[in-house]
Amino acid sequence: MNTRLLMMMHVNVATPQNIGAVPHGTRRTAPLSGGDFEGPRLRGTLLPGGSADWLLLRADGVLEMDLRVTLRTDDGALISMKSFGLRHGPPEVMAAIGRGETVDPATYYFRTTPRFETAHPAYTFLNRLVAVASGDRRAEGPIYTIHEVL
Amino acid sequence: MNSRPLMLLRFATSAIEEIGSTPHGKVSIFPVTGGSFEGERLRGKVLAGGGDWVTALADGTFELDLRVTLETDDGALIHMTFTGVRDDANHYLRTLPRFETAAPKYAFLNRLLAVGIGEIRPEGPVHAIEEIL
Repeated sequence: MNTRLLMMMHVNVATPQNIGAVPHGTRRTAPLSGGDFEGPRLRGTLLPGGSADWLLLRADGVLEMDLRVTLRTDDGALISMKSFGLRHGPPEVMAAIGRGETVDPATYYFRTTPRFETAHPAYTFLNRLVAVASGDRRAEGPIYTIHEVL
Repeated sequence: MNSRPLMLLRFATSAIEEIGSTPHGKVSIFPVTGGSFEGERLRGKVLAGGGDWVTALADGTFELDLRVTLETDDGALIHMTFTGVRDDANHYLRTLPRFETAAPKYAFLNRLLAVGIGEIRPEGPVHAIEEIL
């Protein structure tokens, strides 16, 4: 599979809302207070209003992530991004992340599959691609390295 | 990004069901009547009954939404879905498959994300699916 770097995205997580035990698992919503992204073809900031990660911890210990964010490029385009992801790893690593410690992202699986929608002519190439991302969970929020699938 | 081959998946499809123009675009359903999949860690056949719900969007691309059931050669059933984009102008057909199974032997599928590189051949669609490492 060939890929190329689309952008790095830093996300700031606000206080999570613990929904609790639901029929599919344990649900938590993490509103995002902001962030930024930068790549060869686009850069800008993340709008806090409609951006959050809807999390579901499954019975098999895998965390499902359903991230929806609005990006604003430095030239004013709005881009809607949605990405489904999975995060899992050894219990001690996941516990360290839970305590807000920085751990080597190679020690756990944190991958997402972003899709984009925009009306801005400069960025319509985003409508036509699928992407994959690897995540690095830091105390303040994840850092995503997002690659376009060629 | 690092990946490794998961399977080569071939679908057999029957006549397209044209739903027609809807508020989201022109919708066509491609019923899946069978097929096969083969990889180092799993192989078997595609069961009849699934399909790909395809929406032609205003920009000339197609949005894919597939659901099928796979049956491995040792009898496990795997629920597979994908969404994806087909952009014929750029010869781009890429999908994001997901898997669900209750079979312990194949539980690794529940925990991975994948990408499919698709191609429409005269005998039907073929998807080379890679696990994202």
